[in-house]
Amino acid sequence: MRRSAASKKKSDSITTSTTDLFRSASSKATTKEMDRIDHLFNQYANISSNLIDPEGIEELCSNLEVSHTDIRILMLAWKMKAEKQGYFTQEEWRRGLKALRADTINKLKKALPELEKEVRRQSNFADFYAYAFRYCLTEEKQKSIDIETICQLLDIVMGSTFRAQVDYFVEYLKIQNDYKVINMDQWMGFYRFCNEISFPEMTEYNPELAWPLVLDSFVEWISEKEA
Amino acid sequence: MIPSISLHRQNKTKKISIPVLQLFLILLFSPKSLRASQELIPNPNPIVSPSPIPSGDMSNQKKRNFQIEAFKHRVVVDPKYADKTWQILERAIHQIYNQDASGLSFEELYRNAYNMVLHKFGEKLYTGFIATMTGHLKEKAKIIESAQGGAFLEELNKKWNEHNKALEMIRDILMYMDRTYIESTKKPHVHPMGLILWKDNVVHSPKIHKRLLNTLLDLVQKERVGEVIDRGLVRNVTKMFMDLGEGVYQEDFEKPFLEASSEFYKVESMEFIEACDCGDYLKKAEKRLTEEIDRVGHYLDGKSEDKITSVVEREMIANHMQRLVHMENSGLVNMLLNDKYEDLGRMYNLFRRVTNGLATVRDVMTSHLREMGKQLVTDPEKSKDPVEFVQRLLDERDKYDKIISTAFGNDKTFQNALNSSFEYFINLNTRSPEFISLFVDDKLRKGLKGIADVDVEVILDKVMMLFRYLQEKDVFEKYYKQHVAKRLLSGKTVSDDAERSLIVKLKTECGYQFTSKLEGMFTDMKTSEDTMRGFYSSHPELSEGPTLIVQVLTTGSWPTQPAVPCNLPAEVSVLCEKFRSYYLGTHTGRRLSWQTNMGTADIKAVFGKGQKHELNVSTFQMCVLMLFNNSDRLSYKEIEQATEIPAPELKRCLQSLACVKGKNVIKKEPMSKDIGEDDLFVVNDKFTSKFYKVKIGTVVAQKETEPEKQETRQRVEEDRKPQIEAAIVRIMKSRKILDHNNIIAEVTKQLQPRFLANPTEIKKRIESLIERDFLERDNTDRKLYRYLA
Repeated sequence: MRRSAASKKKSDSITTSTTDLFRSASSKATTKEMDRIDHLFNQYANISSNLIDPEGIEELCSNLEVSHTDIRILMLAWKMKAEKQGYFTQEEWRRGLKALRADTINKLKKALPELEKEVRRQSNFADFYAYAFRYCLTEEKQKSIDIETICQLLDIVMGSTFRAQVDYFVEYLKIQNDYKVINMDQWMGFYRFCNEISFPEMTEYNPELAWPLVLDSFVEWISEKEA
Repeated sequence: MIPSISLHRQNKTKKISIPVLQLFLILLFSPKSLRASQELIPNPNPIVSPSPIPSGDMSNQKKRNFQIEAFKHRVVVDPKYADKTWQILERAIHQIYNQDASGLSFEELYRNAYNMVLHKFGEKLYTGFIATMTGHLKEKAKIIESAQGGAFLEELNKKWNEHNKALEMIRDILMYMDRTYIESTKKPHVHPMGLILWKDNVVHSPKIHKRLLNTLLDLVQKERVGEVIDRGLVRNVTKMFMDLGEGVYQEDFEKPFLEASSEFYKVESMEFIEACDCGDYLKKAEKRLTEEIDRVGHYLDGKSEDKITSVVEREMIANHMQRLVHMENSGLVNMLLNDKYEDLGRMYNLFRRVTNGLATVRDVMTSHLREMGKQLVTDPEKSKDPVEFVQRLLDERDKYDKIISTAFGNDKTFQNALNSSFEYFINLNTRSPEFISLFVDDKLRKGLKGIADVDVEVILDKVMMLFRYLQEKDVFEKYYKQHVAKRLLSGKTVSDDAERSLIVKLKTECGYQFTSKLEGMFTDMKTSEDTMRGFYSSHPELSEGPTLIVQVLTTGSWPTQPAVPCNLPAEVSVLCEKFRSYYLGTHTGRRLSWQTNMGTADIKAVFGKGQKHELNVSTFQMCVLMLFNNSDRLSYKEIEQATEIPAPELKRCLQSLACVKGKNVIKKEPMSKDIGEDDLFVVNDKFTSKFYKVKIGTVVAQKETEPEKQETRQRVEEDRKPQIEAAIVRIMKSRKILDHNNIIAEVTKQLQPRFLANPTEIKKRIESLIERDFLERDNTDRKLYRYLA
């Protein structure tokens, strides 16, 4: 790619490629920021692979004073659009931290509450929720996640907002035998369920509509329990 | 016109003489006018006639001034003229009313009336006529009023007839007035007026009005309780009412009549319903209905028929519908159970007349059918014998068919009710498809033996009728295939034509796919025959040894069975190998596997005392028995080893050879019922049988055991999954986007000829298809699904 005038590339969005970032050398401040971000990256990254691996992430977490099962790490991953669970690439790192305007650990720590607010906005949360599922797909061509992981994931992602639903659903998933895995469709179905159906009354729920079958069985199980 | 006289003017002194001259002139002419008025010249046509000449001297005429004048109406000054004329007429009317009209001259009276009208006395004539008639009628009314008892009506009738006759005559006389004066004044014409006068003065006379109505109603009541009345008399009276005007008939007679009838039937129906059972009540109701129609025909106006019949229908039927139909021991249900065709027919005809009548009957019949059917199919006793079960169903259907055609006039709505009821309860028992197939199996094995072709068709058609009620037709298909296979392979079918005929019927009902495999089975049988012929003709040396008959089955068409291992006796396996190489020589690229669990063998046996028998046994049994050619005693283990037949099958086989009375060709030690691993077996030298040919162990289709049933059911469920998916994909491919409820509805509809699809199952399949990226949910509207090409 030929070098174009730097001024043209001033207002690039986060999704620009590495080379573009590289070329936006117009603002000294930006470069300085990027340097600091890279510097931060190198603190946690594995030298040989040039990735932050699970070990690095654990260190990062302890520095940020959050547990590595905390939802905020997941939110950070979302912000970075990280693709592989447990690993951050340099590109992803840059992307995320630049968006958060954080180039030191402290700034990053301070940015987390803001990030949380941003993610929890109605317009973003659905995307985040779906991202959380995809993030857990480790194998290529994997389409579903095993029940145990789902239970953990549900707890992390939805536990704070929909405690009751998550608890009941997790209990149901552990008891039932029909499903060994949950797929994306069912995962998203649960999100809709929490948002649209009052709990525990569930008066609006109609099994004859297009709800995933697993939720039909879940609702039936609850009504039988209540009876 | 006064003849002019020229007045000569004289000198003034002669003034006095002029007036005198004029006066004289006037006096001269007036007497002539007076004289003229005294003659009544009836001369309607104005004629030109010369003015009357004072003297009869005709010769003087020529000198006179002759003028032709138009005829003019004489100004009548005589007021008595009208009175005199009227008196004549009045007298005439009196005479007519007094039946004394013979002496009257019609022409004269007519002329008089005509003149009156002509001279502008029409009104006097008219009012006079009314007054006179009224007077007469009042008299008549008095006479009628004074009549006693039965004479009342007779007197009324008589006077009415007289009045009509008189009225006619009077009308004829007054015809000119009718046509001219009355026309112009728009008053009622003579005849209608006469009727009005009769009505006002006689019928509505206070002493007559009520009494007349009550007399009539009384007569009707009498007739209703069985007395004989003078119908002609009543007819005349009702006809009189009609003549007076339809409104009069309705107000003065019909309305009260209907009310009184309504009361009467209300009471009577209450009495009857307490005292009679349903059948009798209906008979009585029918009788009353016929009576009323008869009554109308005899002495009421035709228009009353509908009204009185609806009164009877309402009071006797509509008001008691529910009670009649549900009557204990005699109501509809009882009639149905006991085939009371006549009563049922009567009920149908009567209830048809009232709103919701038939609906009531139909509903009760439907709920009875459903209840009865439900009991029939859920009764465990009845489900023990499948053939009995199905026969009962057929019998019930025949029974109700007959009822509907005999008593209900083949009413389509009742046919539909029958069909829907059957459909309802047949599907309550999930084994119905299996049982129907077993019924057919029984018929095709032996039941149809010796029955004429046309009767066979009848039976098969009836079976098809039951088949149509099944919701799970695919379950039937599965069983039917199994049973057909067994029948074909054991050669136990009574009539090939019957088999074929039924398959054709199934094809017509369900389409080609349903029967393609069945047809494949038949084709295989045929082909196998040809193959055997080819085999033996190419191996003539084998005609000496045991005869092998092979049926080559195409795997896809026949119900799948796992191949069971088995060591065939040497003689047999040699033959089998020869066949195998023959077959594979002509059909390359095919794989053959012997189905040892489905074969049979006929073997000749000689027992200890020389008894010879031909034993018809299964392949397994043959393998076991042939072992005894080489050893006298064999243990279970040895048999197992030699034949390599799996344990459960082997045990069953040995049981059938050793433990069944009359068929125990081998003896078992110990003599217990069950086969133990340490048992010993020897040939039963003492075996006897009446028959030379002994059949041991058949491969008869039986009602499945519980575990078998579960297995079949599971296989059916498994088979349904791809069918549901195929339907979903088909629908989505053409519609591209569809919402959830519509998909469920469409899929159910598409699969309905085969089975009733479960919405939950359909949902499962949809989700499976979503997972496999055939479909996706719409992002904005979660109810919609989209087809992914």
